[in-house]
Amino acid sequence: MRSEKSMKKLPDETTEKPVEQVSSKTATRNKKPPILEFENVSKEYAGGFVCLDGINFTISKGEFVFVVGRSGAGKSTLVKLMIREQLPSAGKVLFDGVDIAEIPQHEIHLLRRRLGVVFQDFKVLPSKNVFANVAVALEVVDAPKSQIKDIVENVLNLVGIYDKAQSFPAELSGGELQRVAIARALAHEPDLFVADEPTGNIDPESSAQILDVFEKINSMGVAVLMATHDFRVVDRLKQRVVRLEKGKIVSDVAGGKY
Amino acid sequence: MPKALTQTMETVKQEKLFTVSNLVVMILTFLVFGLFLLVEVLAQTALNKLEKEATLTLFFKDEAAESAIMTLKSSIEKDTRVFSVNYVSKADAFEIFKNLNKDEPLLLESVTANVLPASLEIRAHKVGLLAALADEYKTTDGVEGVKFYKDIIDRFNFWRTVLSVGIGVILLILLFVSFSIVVSTIRTAISLRGSEFEILKLVGASDAYVKNPLLHQGMFYGGVSAFVSGAVYAVLIVAGHFSGVLGSLRLSEVVLASDIAVPTLLFPVIMLAFLTVCGLGLGYLSSLSAIKRYLNY
Repeated sequence: MRSEKSMKKLPDETTEKPVEQVSSKTATRNKKPPILEFENVSKEYAGGFVCLDGINFTISKGEFVFVVGRSGAGKSTLVKLMIREQLPSAGKVLFDGVDIAEIPQHEIHLLRRRLGVVFQDFKVLPSKNVFANVAVALEVVDAPKSQIKDIVENVLNLVGIYDKAQSFPAELSGGELQRVAIARALAHEPDLFVADEPTGNIDPESSAQILDVFEKINSMGVAVLMATHDFRVVDRLKQRVVRLEKGKIVSDVAGGKY
Repeated sequence: MPKALTQTMETVKQEKLFTVSNLVVMILTFLVFGLFLLVEVLAQTALNKLEKEATLTLFFKDEAAESAIMTLKSSIEKDTRVFSVNYVSKADAFEIFKNLNKDEPLLLESVTANVLPASLEIRAHKVGLLAALADEYKTTDGVEGVKFYKDIIDRFNFWRTVLSVGIGVILLILLFVSFSIVVSTIRTAISLRGSEFEILKLVGASDAYVKNPLLHQGMFYGGVSAFVSGAVYAVLIVAGHFSGVLGSLRLSEVVLASDIAVPTLLFPVIMLAFLTVCGLGLGYLSSLSAIKRYLNY
């Protein structure tokens, strides 16, 4: 589904790159090449408010990372920088070795086709049913209809809402809506799956099910970054935890807890 | 049906009221645009006809010898400004007079061939040259007087300009109104579909994927309204050619510019195509303007 152009601009997973040591605690883990690197990234908003300050960390291909911190710690800004919704005030964000600030405006979509992103507010289209909501991700890359049908059915099965394919968002629970968003993010087989507070609007039981889906995605070799302040989620998976406080990384621990 | 057209038709169906009101205003705009073109082309055609038929007539004194007049004719024919020279003898003038007044025998009885002067009818390549030619030849030996239609053409040009400027001003206002209407419609579409566009961008839609349907929507309004207006004029011109006012003119061709003439029945086709292209252009530019302003592209 990816265009040749995008492959040239954004090297694929077969491109080996030297692992950069960004943290003494993470260095030993980074055996796989990095998919995402933050190099001394700062973000300052108008009025002088510093949201992120000197952020350095790397996510390897296939890794699972939690970014935790209180509200206002900078987690969402971190996600916005990853998807190039915003640009850093200083430093570099590298996706698969490419400085995403250098990607021209008319090629940003090629970056986003390699990312799967879900948000706390689901961002589903209320006028389309579940199938159509997921199919959108494939229609934008002009995938053939037969391929769209196969892929959408697969991802709906993967997230466990195949039986709701013809339902509309208004008929779904919060947990189901988040699964729709996850299915849509998975449709174009992302290299990095980014979730910003994905369990923020759903009950604990649904959160656990969503977490199961994330584990499944990660087990398929997709790197997962989940920004959350839900300690139950973090403690359950015992994955790498990067803690943000007032825009700075204060700890980066493998197999950590909230 | 192409995907772009399908998307546009879906949008149009969803926004029926917008579509109808936009089309009405834009059809009005392009009807005025068509009227403007029609006036310009008919005026240009009439002007060309007047210019071709405008002559400078040199009237000779009774004592002027025909040989002297013919010598002068030969010398005038060599003038590069002159298109043609025609000699009208006293006898020819009397024949013309008789033809013109054949229903008035009393008048004909009182006039003889000797009363009417011999003359040279001079046609210039450009009507503007007639005044200079008149000045030059009015003092020639044997010439009693000169006559030409300078005033008629000047007056025609004056009223043509007044009409063109009047319609042109109304046209500019309507074009601006149409432009604003398309911009407002696209802005509304962007506002209503803001979250959808956000999602499309999030899942990797290219800029073109998001903005092309909006561009097509604007082009639909402009193209359809211009085509309808052009079709109205095409029907009127073709019907008028075979009957009524235009029929009595017996125009075999119309003049688009000073040296470009086309057959009368080809003109509505050209006008229809021209208006449609202008409509598509207006729709495209209006949508593009709205997209740049409200969609941050």
